[in-house]
Amino acid sequence: MSATTTDSPLAIDFCGLHFANPLVLLSGCVGFGEEYTRVEGFSNRDAGAICLKGTTLEPRLGNQPHRVYETPDGMLNSIGLQNPGVGIVVDEILPTLDFSETRFIANVSGSTVEEYEQVTRRFDNSPIDAIEINISCPNVKQGGVAFGNDPQMSARVVEACRRATNKPLITKLSPNQTDIAANAKHCIEAGSDAFSVINTLMGMAIDIESRRPIIGNNQGGLSGPAIKPVALLKVHQVYQVCKAHGIPIIGQGGVNSAEDALEFIIAGATAVGVGTALFYDPLICHKINSGIAAYLGKHKLQSIMQLTGSLRLNEPPKAHCGC
Amino acid sequence: MENKPHRDTIFSEQAQILSHQACAGEQYILRVAAPKCAANALPGSFAHIKVAPALLLRRPISIMRTSATEGWVEFLYKAVGEGTRLLATRQPGEMLDMLGPIGTAFKFESGRSRPLLIGGGVGMPPMIFAAQQLRGNDLFKPLAILGSEVPFPFRPRPSRILIPAMPDGVIACMPLLDDWGIPCRLASQQGYAGCYQGFVTDLARDWLNTLDREQLNQVEIFACGPHPMLAAVAMLAAELDLPCQVSLEEYMACGVGGCAGCVVPVKTGATSQAMKRVCVDGPVFDARQVFF
Ligand SMILES: Cc1cc2nc3c(=O)[nH]c(=O)nc-3n(C[C@H](O)[C@H](O)[C@H](O)COP(=O)(O)O)c2cc1C
Ligand code: FES
Repeated sequence: MSATTTDSPLAIDFCGLHFANPLVLLSGCVGFGEEYTRVEGFSNRDAGAICLKGTTLEPRLGNQPHRVYETPDGMLNSIGLQNPGVGIVVDEILPTLDFSETRFIANVSGSTVEEYEQVTRRFDNSPIDAIEINISCPNVKQGGVAFGNDPQMSARVVEACRRATNKPLITKLSPNQTDIAANAKHCIEAGSDAFSVINTLMGMAIDIESRRPIIGNNQGGLSGPAIKPVALLKVHQVYQVCKAHGIPIIGQGGVNSAEDALEFIIAGATAVGVGTALFYDPLICHKINSGIAAYLGKHKLQSIMQLTGSLRLNEPPKAHCGC
Repeated sequence: MENKPHRDTIFSEQAQILSHQACAGEQYILRVAAPKCAANALPGSFAHIKVAPALLLRRPISIMRTSATEGWVEFLYKAVGEGTRLLATRQPGEMLDMLGPIGTAFKFESGRSRPLLIGGGVGMPPMIFAAQQLRGNDLFKPLAILGSEVPFPFRPRPSRILIPAMPDGVIACMPLLDDWGIPCRLASQQGYAGCYQGFVTDLARDWLNTLDREQLNQVEIFACGPHPMLAAVAMLAAELDLPCQVSLEEYMACGVGGCAGCVVPVKTGATSQAMKRVCVDGPVFDARQVFF
């Protein structure tokens, strides 16, 4: 049995799917849902949903090492979407997952609009609960963030995937773009049911002795607590577009504690992603969930869903600007 | 509800530091109380340690030896980066958040009776652990060759074990291995007393050259150390047609197989390659698969 029941204050409704709690384990951080179960005390049941690793039509080897490197309060990664291809994922990996434990979300990538559509179609014909379209991967040459930073292209990808499935479609937005809210608007029109906000920010680290970038692919995606303030603002901005349509957001970027998760929810998120934090604390879901439950008790809230978007903005300053 | 522990379980322990000894060359010997890790670790395993609150990611540190009965795990590491430098400041009595044991182990299953253990610098720990495992096992006649370019993290002494066909004057050993009855010799470029002057691979080659083919057919090489050393070991093994297992290092994030951040290219066929995770597919690999 799940630790939380349907009427648990932590449970949420996400595009018609029941999540036992608002935590989503993020794509690329938990492999294909099996790896972390080796860790004593970890259970897939502790998360409301789990996003599987980014998946493409054909198998991909991914990028050359080094692929990860710690930076102040965060880390860079450039994995390059290493995955066995959608065929293996659907035929060999999904059958090993226990869908009674949690909701499983596929994460779809491609180099062309057609590839996104084909991968989505393959997942449509599988037990997967929802599909996340990654148009914000900073670590591949084609597709990924190149699509996500162009609102017209973003909409074309969403449209194509929408044709391929009736399952809930989540678009993962990049922070590496000028107007994330405008992009979100295009994606909603194209048929997106939900958003993941945000993917990693592009960054670099340099070895001053060799004068070479430390990451094999030269640049990588920055994640972890360092990006949390950026992520919070983006969630707030995207929520302004989403609220009228009742479109939910998985807020993510540097979540490390119950307080972080609550900040994202207040800013407009319905669910909250946990990625990098799992690397240093694989048992963090317990702690975040019990912290959220304590907060709900203290503030006499019946459901975490009452908190979404409850941000009270300060009055705009009347006098001079603060620069 | 949790998953039941099984053979591959990675345990999460709050490990109290029992002792933390500083040695020359910024090397440290760290012993922690971690009974579950101690009971399950094998030569090649590492622990993924949250070294200090100030650093986000854990650091993989390879295990040097264990006592399952006393419930401790011992590490030898060198303070080379921010993580290991912070680890070096941690005091006995303090707790370390530790995941382990992790990783595939060296396998002594080929039927070859003469394991040649080669460890260089911070690559010594898994070889010492291998010696601990082979200790007292009559099926094996191991030889350990350890190398270091900074003073060894123990006081070398003349060995009590005679090794036929060692070059003259190469008599220094690691006392712990000698006491275990594991023949051992040391190599360094630094001209330390009783040590072979040169690379571990040169000493290994000198020794291997004294064996006839029948004896060579009993040898299997196990190695851990800096990348250039491992490349040289792999070449030597290929030259003499000896099986060889090497333990690799790579930057890690999760340490449990979930992020694919720690991969190395591995040869899987005449023309095919795969990217394998050092943390759970390794750290021990067949040398022919990773040096090609
Ligand atoms: C090692 C690593 C691999 C990732 N791989 C993917 C991926 O395949 N697809 C994707 O949409 N996002 C990927 N991401 C981004 C995360 O899902 C997440 O959006 C981001 O890391 C921000 O959250 P965090 O700070 O909690 O990690 C990856 C992140 C990391 C650290
Ligand atoms: S460090 Fe994450 S897979 Fe090895």
